[in-house]
Amino acid sequence: MTLRLGRHTFDDDATLMMAIVNRTPDSFYDKGATWAEDKAFERVALVAEQGAEIVDIGGIKAAPGIEISEAEEKDRVVDFVARVRAAYPSLVISVDTWRASVGAAVCAAGADVINDAWGGADPELVDAAAEGGAAIVCTHTGGVTPRTRPYRIEYDDVVAAAIADTTAYASRALDAGVPRESIVIDPAHDFGKNTFHSLEVTRRLGELVDTGWPVLVSLSNKDFVGETLDLPVGSRLVGTLAATAVCALAGARIYRVHEVVETRQVVDMVSSIAGRRPPRRAIRGLQ
Amino acid sequence: MPGVLALLPEYASLDDPVSELRAVCLDAVRWLGSDVTVLADDQGARVAAYLLEESGGFEAQAQNAFAPQPPSSVVEVRGAPATSLEPTTRATSYLVVGNGSACRSEKAPGHLDERAHDFDAALGAALASSHRDWPPLDLGETLLGSLDGIRRLREVLPAEYRATVDYDADPFGVQYWVLRWSW
Repeated sequence: MTLRLGRHTFDDDATLMMAIVNRTPDSFYDKGATWAEDKAFERVALVAEQGAEIVDIGGIKAAPGIEISEAEEKDRVVDFVARVRAAYPSLVISVDTWRASVGAAVCAAGADVINDAWGGADPELVDAAAEGGAAIVCTHTGGVTPRTRPYRIEYDDVVAAAIADTTAYASRALDAGVPRESIVIDPAHDFGKNTFHSLEVTRRLGELVDTGWPVLVSLSNKDFVGETLDLPVGSRLVGTLAATAVCALAGARIYRVHEVVETRQVVDMVSSIAGRRPPRRAIRGLQ
Repeated sequence: MPGVLALLPEYASLDDPVSELRAVCLDAVRWLGSDVTVLADDQGARVAAYLLEESGGFEAQAQNAFAPQPPSSVVEVRGAPATSLEPTTRATSYLVVGNGSACRSEKAPGHLDERAHDFDAALGAALASSHRDWPPLDLGETLLGSLDGIRRLREVLPAEYRATVDYDADPFGVQYWVLRWSW
């Protein structure tokens, strides 16, 4: 399906790198490295140079912690979105938030995508996306409260649950007025899931692709990779890329990542193996 | 022109490795006009068919009263007897697909063969001028040249001809030419 992400459109077969840009002092991977606005802006410049099509700006870490008010979240992201918008008109700007008021504010500042990592916890977020002309990412969390860790959650069929919840969320977005081509689904690895759930979602990602909605995967350095390989944060790149390859073969469209260059290479290679992307420059044996 | 498989759409890359050659080939094919007989081996015939289609030649040929059949029916293929040249008596143009050696460097498909450059120089000179001797084409086969079409060309060329060399290079260790002859 052709994607329309706010001001930007992408071809049916395009795969997109969504680079994570944290405006937080305490996110699990970068541990506040881009907390300062100028550091976050340098991160945007870096990932844009590396070829990321999308930046995903977040003002609150996903894990439990000190409560961040709506006002504080806006302080962290709204002006920053405006600054990035002005400097990078061709870059897709996504904002990672579950709050409708924040969604509305960042759309007004120039955001193209609202990435709701918490599965529609605020039911008015779809209205904010529709009114703001933004795309929306509809995730599956199993209904957990934002910023909570999974605890003894079980599913009869985690993939069926992910499909049911994300497609229902997509329908709500559609009803609210978000264009069909601006709705993305995300099974949300680790969110409301233990490691076995995330592995199964990865293994069966093709079933989400078969819904016809474009699929986003957020795999980067997550705990399911760490637990599977018994590796700490900082040592999970290879495992992340292995999971990325499986999702790419299944047909995921958007990859939310810390490492843009490595992920792009994996996705391009797998896309070419799958026959969806020509090689960059092939002459061997064809001279 | 050379039968470079990278010219075919089934081998397309995001960045065309033979963009310059492709442009020169297409210009030459357009120069031939619509009534074309192809002299080529099987692979070369595929390349020719594609270039003719790209240049609009197939459509034009289908409109020609002398060649109402699909273009493949007028392709001279490997091992065809001389009598199969009969359709060319109606043709106004020939498209010859072939190339020189594939042994011009250590990275070439056939690795480096010291005889390759002399052979290609002699063949290139003969193709470009009716006053030069042809090198032994059997040696060219040893050097992985694609010469079936060029052998057929020798039977077609008159004693005197003029040639224009549009392309002469070996970007991948294979000798390519694009030439236009007239007589």
